[in-house]
Amino acid sequence: MSWDQVLELIKSILLTQTGIPNLDIGQVIMILISFFFLYLAVAKEYEPLLLVPIGFGIFLVNFPLAPLMGFTEHGDPQLIQAFYKYGVQWEIIPCLIFLGLGAMTDFGPLIANPKTLIIGAGAQLGVFITYCGTLFFGFTLKEAASVGIIGGADGPTTIYLTAMLAPQLLGANALAAYSYMAMVPLIQPPIMRLMTTPEQRRIKMRQLRPVSAKEKLLFPLIASIFIILLIPAVAPLMGMFMFGNFMRECGVVKRLSETAQNAMMNIVTILLGLSVGATMQADVFLSWKPMLIFGFGLLDFIICTFGGILTVHIMNKFLKEKMNPLIGSAGVSAVPMAARVSQVEGQKADPDNWLIMHAMGPNLAGVIGSASAAGMFIAMFK
Amino acid sequence: MNRLTHGFFKNAIRAWLILAGLLVILAPRTTVYAAFGEDLEKPKPEFTREGNMITAKLIPRAKSTSVSIHFTVSGGRLVNVEGMDFQEAARPGVDNKDFKSELFTIKIDGVPPGGEAKVSVTSDFFSSSTEYWIFNRNLKEPWMNADAKNISLPDMVQELLVSVKDGGPFDSDGAVNGRITLSGGPKDSFWGYALGTLFIRFFGIFLVLSILMIGMILSGKIFQMIDKKKAKREKEIQVQPEVPAPDIQPTEAIEPELAAAVCAALHLHFSGRRSGAASSPSITPAVSPWVRQGRERIMNARSIPTNRFNRLQNR
Repeated sequence: MSWDQVLELIKSILLTQTGIPNLDIGQVIMILISFFFLYLAVAKEYEPLLLVPIGFGIFLVNFPLAPLMGFTEHGDPQLIQAFYKYGVQWEIIPCLIFLGLGAMTDFGPLIANPKTLIIGAGAQLGVFITYCGTLFFGFTLKEAASVGIIGGADGPTTIYLTAMLAPQLLGANALAAYSYMAMVPLIQPPIMRLMTTPEQRRIKMRQLRPVSAKEKLLFPLIASIFIILLIPAVAPLMGMFMFGNFMRECGVVKRLSETAQNAMMNIVTILLGLSVGATMQADVFLSWKPMLIFGFGLLDFIICTFGGILTVHIMNKFLKEKMNPLIGSAGVSAVPMAARVSQVEGQKADPDNWLIMHAMGPNLAGVIGSASAAGMFIAMFK
Repeated sequence: MNRLTHGFFKNAIRAWLILAGLLVILAPRTTVYAAFGEDLEKPKPEFTREGNMITAKLIPRAKSTSVSIHFTVSGGRLVNVEGMDFQEAARPGVDNKDFKSELFTIKIDGVPPGGEAKVSVTSDFFSSSTEYWIFNRNLKEPWMNADAKNISLPDMVQELLVSVKDGGPFDSDGAVNGRITLSGGPKDSFWGYALGTLFIRFFGIFLVLSILMIGMILSGKIFQMIDKKKAKREKEIQVQPEVPAPDIQPTEAIEPELAAAVCAALHLHFSGRRSGAASSPSITPAVSPWVRQGRERIMNARSIPTNRFNRLQNR
């Protein structure tokens, strides 16, 4: 073998088998973006369970020639493409996450005060207003719906709906949803203070009644009957959510319930995070749309917070026992962060005011409300 | 250093939030729209012919499932129906989102020269407000409403009936030759649909959650009533004058070893009864109150792990 042939071979290897000559500026930018999200997750602990796998997914998938998100020449999906195809595209992982969430959720505060369900509905205002806004900016109806649902502050619901209606926006939507959910303590308090007077923030609510085990056991069945009969399209999400809760409350399948809450939840979270992160390749992500989605996501959260508090104000006009309007902001879902924000803001006005359990009601109602909104959108596009 | 990082981070987040807000307010709509590029929802009709009827099967804009649109003609022969790219008919003020099921070019022959044919377009995808719009590139104002009759048929099917004259303004070939070329498509108001359905669906969520709320309030009342009754019953049982328990005393003082032996004998006796001749008839021996009390305690202690009520309470 001559020296020239050796050089040619080295050149060929460098050009075709290494990533360096194929690395472009877009990929470098995306890798820097992945560092930013990893920093948020690790240093600031902003939704680390999701942002670590998402950030790492973005990081991995933006290396040139990396066999992760493509298909082999036989048409088989490569590693993360397989996670994405069978987990997200087939809409399995978001439903499994709902199963785990159901197994983790204690519906006691919502059962004790069912009126808070209305707050969960009112807090979906932003979902629909953002939907209109995005349409004005040239998004299609399906894209607008998937962007609108970000305001529901429910990650799995956002991913489920986006994967179904606008998979090309999955990465941006999921990232916006989880980022803003983590920023709830920054976004909500100014709106909460703007929409309430100090007297209103000091309203003390009566302690919630105790809820019996039988009531908790029957709740998932009753809720499933009503919700699935009225919005059948939401059955995969709501069915899994209520199944998980039923396992928790029945008490006879402790092992299954614990698996759903821990092992299964952790596994699907890893797969979901990596898959979502891996959809953010430079050529897809670096455009106007994701930027606008981040803008609209913020607007969405603001209007949803506004809608929740406004709903409490309207309800207070008709209720004998007034509710503290600060719990309205918890209607955006983001369990339990939004409820904690209500508690913190309430205590700033009156250190003896304990709102957390009252805020958990609208918080859980927000989960049901955002899933219902997703179901409404799915039905609309059927 | 840490404080410095914290300050930078806080400011960066604030700056991002402001930037995100400004992005929505200031982004130039037209530039953004143009940057979005390809038409992702462009319907791709597939045509099949059955006798005099041609059916187009397509996934319309803003839908995930396919619909069928049927074309028939009276007063002429339906030669062909094909899809037409909206780009060919794009004009200022005409939005392709209004044409959810794409445009069609319908070719008819066998019409008496200068005569009229009626084109029927039916589908369960149309609504009572669906119109049929015609595109004729030879005219100064190429887009016009065909003033189609919108007829409601059974099974929620709507029929659009368009009258078209050979050589008339709807006929794209413009000649009186017994042949008609009709370009256009069914039109629904995009914004009307988007806002209308939005309004309905937002209040739909209120309706669904209100119904759930009523269901929960009712079931809550029932449970509270049951719990109250139960508590009342328990209270009554507690209030009843207690029957003085018989003072059970060992008839005579016995040694601990003897007591243990008696207990062991009792245990063996009853375990033998349980595991042994289940079929053999036996008579329960008369037992003293002291033994009965002991047995009750053993049974209660044994039933704790299998008692469902206790398990729910202790969870």
